[in-house]
Amino acid sequence: MPIGRVVATERKPNTPHEFHFWTALDAPVGIGTIVRVEGPPTGDGRLVTVYGVVVEGFSYTDLQTPLHDVLGADGDPSAALRAPTDRTEIRLYTAHALRHVPDEPLQPVPMGTVHLATDDDVAVALRMDGYLKEGQRTGIPIGLYRSGAMQSPVYLDADFLLGPEAAHLNISGVSGLATKTSAVEWLLSSIFAHFPVQKGSVAAVCFNVKGPDLCFLDQPATRLDDADRALYDALGVPAEPFRDVEYYAPWTARGHALATLRSHEALSHNVHPLSWGLREVLQYAEVLLNKDDVDAKADALIDFIRERVVNQEFADAMLERTHTVRSFADLERWFREVLRGMEGRNAETWRTHHVATIRKVRNRLSNISTRCRGLVTDDGTASDLPFGAFRDRAVYVIDVAASEEDAQDLIFARIVSQLREQLERRTLGVDHVVVFVDELNKYAPSDGPDTYVRQMLLDIAERGRYLGLVLFAAQQFRSQVHRRVVGNCGTALFGRMDMDELATPGYATLAPATRIKLSTLDKGQLMVRHPHFAQPVFVRFPRPAVLGGREGVERFPAEPEPSLEVAVTRSLRALDRSVTLDWVKQAIVAAPEDDVLRARNRTLQARPDDVKAYFRSQFRGRAAVESVPSTPSSLPLAGSGSDDPYAF
Amino acid sequence: MSAERRIGPTYPPSEGAASVRASLRALRAAGAAMALPEPALELRPSASEPPRLQRAEPREGDAMRVRRVAGEPVAGIVAFLDGIQESRVLAHWPGGVPLVHGTVAATVRRRRARTLVAWRPDATRIERALFVPRAAVGDTAWTALATSCTVRDTLEPGAGGPWHPQELTGHALSAVQRRRECAETACAELWCADGDGPLVVDGGIASAGTAAHSPLAIGVVKSHRTLYVDGDALPLVLGLGAGERTTTFTVTSPRRAPVASWYLRLRDPAAHDALWGIVRVEVAVDGATTDRADLVSRWLLAERSPVALPDARWGAMSYGVRLTEEYLRAVTR
Repeated sequence: MPIGRVVATERKPNTPHEFHFWTALDAPVGIGTIVRVEGPPTGDGRLVTVYGVVVEGFSYTDLQTPLHDVLGADGDPSAALRAPTDRTEIRLYTAHALRHVPDEPLQPVPMGTVHLATDDDVAVALRMDGYLKEGQRTGIPIGLYRSGAMQSPVYLDADFLLGPEAAHLNISGVSGLATKTSAVEWLLSSIFAHFPVQKGSVAAVCFNVKGPDLCFLDQPATRLDDADRALYDALGVPAEPFRDVEYYAPWTARGHALATLRSHEALSHNVHPLSWGLREVLQYAEVLLNKDDVDAKADALIDFIRERVVNQEFADAMLERTHTVRSFADLERWFREVLRGMEGRNAETWRTHHVATIRKVRNRLSNISTRCRGLVTDDGTASDLPFGAFRDRAVYVIDVAASEEDAQDLIFARIVSQLREQLERRTLGVDHVVVFVDELNKYAPSDGPDTYVRQMLLDIAERGRYLGLVLFAAQQFRSQVHRRVVGNCGTALFGRMDMDELATPGYATLAPATRIKLSTLDKGQLMVRHPHFAQPVFVRFPRPAVLGGREGVERFPAEPEPSLEVAVTRSLRALDRSVTLDWVKQAIVAAPEDDVLRARNRTLQARPDDVKAYFRSQFRGRAAVESVPSTPSSLPLAGSGSDDPYAF
Repeated sequence: MSAERRIGPTYPPSEGAASVRASLRALRAAGAAMALPEPALELRPSASEPPRLQRAEPREGDAMRVRRVAGEPVAGIVAFLDGIQESRVLAHWPGGVPLVHGTVAATVRRRRARTLVAWRPDATRIERALFVPRAAVGDTAWTALATSCTVRDTLEPGAGGPWHPQELTGHALSAVQRRRECAETACAELWCADGDGPLVVDGGIASAGTAAHSPLAIGVVKSHRTLYVDGDALPLVLGLGAGERTTTFTVTSPRRAPVASWYLRLRDPAAHDALWGIVRVEVAVDGATTDRADLVSRWLLAERSPVALPDARWGAMSYGVRLTEEYLRAVTR
């Protein structure tokens, strides 16, 4: 049965892209409703069908002025309720055309009956029929379109979400409503469940930039209700947490624990340190050095060091000995010797580099490890993502929430660059990687100085889709993000939006009623723009099936930073459960803290079969300690008498 | 799609298929000279009968008096009947004979859940025809026109000329009016036979056939060129307050059924003329008691809301009649 009729007047005509229709007062039509117009047959007998989405609604009666209603009711609002006849009221809607069938010739929408869209209509209207064919499906469910009691799944095209036709996703929404994070968590679940077999493998790399939102992706949600489960069923996505999640976080400044809110022991099995040495960092030094720091001369010296000094034997007449620089500590020794040599010879330049430039570069490079303490190690040990061994459907979360801004930039730049390089060489381990970044306005602002990170994001946005490197980025204010970054995102999701943001020119293409709806969206609702959809559509998505950040920290509270002995014990027990606190105390007695941490890091990196022996061997001259027998006058070290690693 | 389907009317006429286009084609074929578009004849100033006072026999007491309508307004009307007409000169026959196209329509709209809806299909009558003075155009032309569309003679049989062109226009207008009254009468009689409650008829019921005798029909007359009062009672009528009525009286006419009638003021005239807001109500004489007059008056007072604005006659027009008229305008366009 039709729910409306198309109308047009000279003042309000229909066009091929916009049409108007009226409905009964109780018709289940509203902003975002998808409708189907059945027009009369064309001259050659073909039926014209037009699909549209409602963008505006009007209601009016035959009143010329509100004063007439006042007159009729003698100024008494309740009197109007006693009137025997209601004023004739029209519900008039404006819809934007989604699709014409046939699509040529493109003509104004004809007069005809209006019907609510069925499942099949929604698929045709949104052009999903092109990518939902059996045998060549590339549909990724994004949510359910609802109209009254009817609901239809809406799919994105994987070729346009994850490349190669188009790629990248941008999510906008006010902070504090968990829309952006929830939407990404949900969409990643959907991608993992529906990624087309013919497109290969996919993994996700998520940067947790604030709070604990992404810290519990492998834990099941506790607040999924029947309605959410029904949504999951309808969309064909299992309501489960992610099965394969690895967490990476830098060490704290003290180095005893990882700087992450996911520090509860029950969850430590898949939390790994993220730390880099000189080799890993030097390539991205410019991320931390701005144009004032690095002029052409300094840049040349840094290049020289990178190509001729690091990781190789370097000898020079200015130096007392041959240096093999593998760490910041080695580099600092090398600089010291170069400058000492120049002072000794009263030389102003060395290998065309002026002494002032050398001092400046030494200063800038040496304080990288200070500025990025916990991330950058002095001793060259590195603990990194498993580049080359990425697993299909795995999620790699890099927790940078507790890191300084410089460290965050460095982490982002290096990891994304590595992903890109390995995808180019097809050595990453998976064919596609989704990189999720929140606070995109901070990394790729529309104004401000040009930074390495912004350039990298621009490069990914413009060229990443051919490599399988896909950016999922979120921000509160889309207008504050670089235009080329958002402009290259093929798909855009909008949760509840700030009214001031909606008033910016970027949203002028949306009808006023659509903008107002955007400002009042509930949690779990999104407006979706996708290349196949001629107009944005509203969908509902389920709560993520993972434990939320706030709940997670309540159930798995973060542990305070432990003492050195406890920290080392915990780290080594992850490799060998026989390691006890007593044993660690004995092994590290009187050793400098830096040496202990270095030994721990090397042991974690090497993952030897004999953890205890390897750990001990890291202490220079410490092997002899074990062979000294205890004298009767020496008191034995206090022990727990048990294997409990935490007994004091 | 055929041309007729594309450009045909949305609501096909129930009686007489003479759309304006069909009429124009027939007139051209018959050799008439097309006229420039002009306003409808109904909008032209007409030489109508002079206003007058006419005494009517009182029914309540021996003289007309003023009564406050006893009781509060209460909704009781179930349906509304109204008719419209529109006539235009489409062409002229040699000799200045106006050839008029007329559209008449009448309908009954029933109220359900505070909304007016169509009562039944045969309760809407739409007729379009050419109104032609047969004696003036001749039989040959008449026959030629009649083969293409519905044609109605505007002159009495046996009438002879010559005629002043404006006289012929007046005859056409009267003929269209008679067709409208026929349509209204037909609809009123349908309701009075099968309806299930009081029907407000826009205008009098005295010439509405069997409706004039039916307890269901209530005529509401808004224009007062004839006031059924004598000199002494005139100030009573002009001085009616909102919610007041005169006592009932009988209106008789040689060619119309006698009806019981009274004047009722719907609204305070305020700055309007003395007759503003006054309606003359007609009901069947049988059963036209004081109580019935009060009850009908209460029904009509309840129909003051919502106001019939923006219609200029809103002071005396009920919203139900306005909606009915709007419906007819929509379906006859």
